[in-house]
Amino acid sequence: MTTIERALRGIRSDVRAHLLSVFSVGVAFVCLVATLLVLVNVERVHERWESIGKISVFLRLGTDQKQVSELERALKATEGIVSVRYVSSDAARRDLLRDDPDEVLSSLPEQAFPASIELETKEPFLREEKQRLSAQLQSLPAVETVENYDNYAKKLGHALVGGVTAASVLAFVVLLAVISVVSSTMRLSLQRRKMEVEVLRLVGATNDYVRRPLLVEGMAQGALGALFAIVLMFFLYAILRSSLFEEFSLLFGVAPSFLSFPLCLTLVLSGALLGVFAAALSLRKMLVV
Amino acid sequence: MIPGLTGSSFRPLLRTGNRFDRDAADRPVVIFEDVHKAFRSDCPVLRGFSLTIERGEFLFVTGPSGSGKSTLLRLLYAAEGVDAGRILFLGRDIGRLAPNSIPYLRRNVGVVFQDFKLVDNWTVNENVAVPLQVLGLPTRLIHRRVGEALERVGLGGRGADRCVVLSGGERQRVAIARAIVAEPALILADEPTGNLDPQLAVDILGLFEDIHATGVTVIFATHDRSLLDIRPRRVVVLDEGRAFDVPQGLEPGSFRDAQSSAEAPSGLARVKLGAA
Repeated sequence: MTTIERALRGIRSDVRAHLLSVFSVGVAFVCLVATLLVLVNVERVHERWESIGKISVFLRLGTDQKQVSELERALKATEGIVSVRYVSSDAARRDLLRDDPDEVLSSLPEQAFPASIELETKEPFLREEKQRLSAQLQSLPAVETVENYDNYAKKLGHALVGGVTAASVLAFVVLLAVISVVSSTMRLSLQRRKMEVEVLRLVGATNDYVRRPLLVEGMAQGALGALFAIVLMFFLYAILRSSLFEEFSLLFGVAPSFLSFPLCLTLVLSGALLGVFAAALSLRKMLVV
Repeated sequence: MIPGLTGSSFRPLLRTGNRFDRDAADRPVVIFEDVHKAFRSDCPVLRGFSLTIERGEFLFVTGPSGSGKSTLLRLLYAAEGVDAGRILFLGRDIGRLAPNSIPYLRRNVGVVFQDFKLVDNWTVNENVAVPLQVLGLPTRLIHRRVGEALERVGLGGRGADRCVVLSGGERQRVAIARAIVAEPALILADEPTGNLDPQLAVDILGLFEDIHATGVTVIFATHDRSLLDIRPRRVVVLDEGRAFDVPQGLEPGSFRDAQSSAEAPSGLARVKLGAA
């Protein structure tokens, strides 16, 4: 009888405890998977915003049409810029009021809606290129400010660092939870299978022989718990995706995505490794010939 | 001819690994040399116990409860260690075995207990197959040998039954099948009839005698005098740390005489007395 067969027999003999353990490990992993899911999508938004090819050049008040036309011409001739569009102060006001017809907004002075030139560049547009172009534009006399949306990416980048730290703390908590759950299940399992262990020792089984199927059981609990969490989160993601897809895409410029296959595999393997470790830890002192 | 026993060229069916010792076949199976064992300093279980058990012997170990019968057997399969003295099993000192060698000793010893020690939710086949699985034998061979062992104990065809549905006598037969299935050099029976009615006890004893007839050394611990009277066998009587060897078996009443007299009675040769 192979180790796997013996482990399966052990699981069959105590299905309820094993299922409970898988469920508990799964709940711990759900928190981690959910955090990772958020992080992965924030990371995608961050990447998108970092490489976004849009620059808004706000013009000074009183800039005449001739200056605007010269500026447009010069920008169109600049390498990397694929589209140049002039938005007058009136057009900017109309655009805003079309979406939100508010009296207060409509009574704002002209300075609140400066005329701008909206640039679209090739994508991906490297951050360094964007900053160089922004600095050049800023130095022009007709230009008030240049918005290259880099600050948003920076803020998102900071939020991402915070998110990674939170995920690391959560991963540590999950690690402790998995070790605690699997160890407890193993101890309980050993207690219930006291006679089996006694018989094995009696007929000359080595400690390794007794331990191996229990380690496999621990590994299975960890891996199945992680898999359970991933499958559960995938279903939730699939349900939410259909309703949030358009809004998310419009808002952030990228489509939401689930964890990549290698990341899912890493999570399952981590669960398996944690399970083995927890089982080995609980068996260390309990199995002595 | 008894399998495994061919006159002077007896070859024990041992798993000695890559260190097979031919001389081991000529040595006694077990030698106790001045063994001392105590769980409490004021109440020794064995005091200077010495005994030689030859290959193919059937030996009863008897004495009142708490006299050390079980301890004697536990020393033999290294569940307990000696305080002083030596126990040689096929020439090797059990007391000096490294912890990782103890499982290999146990593979040469079959043990049967009063409480059977079976895994209830396993089938009869699974319970009997354990020693062979530990040895790593191929499944087909295990299946065949388990079938043979069950036939020998009269449980042929019951392999698929769960142990929990068996009667006491049947459970003890399963335990005996598990003890003999790996063909050990020595079988230890620790009060194997303690939980059985008198007729079943006699049947189980008969089973051990059948096993012994195939050349296996059997040490049968019991406090049931009626079993000792069935057939004259070598008997070791343990009492209050003292041991008496009776090579031809106890005569009716002799053990009671031994207990009431300071001297060893007729027919009882004191094995070795400690400082009693």
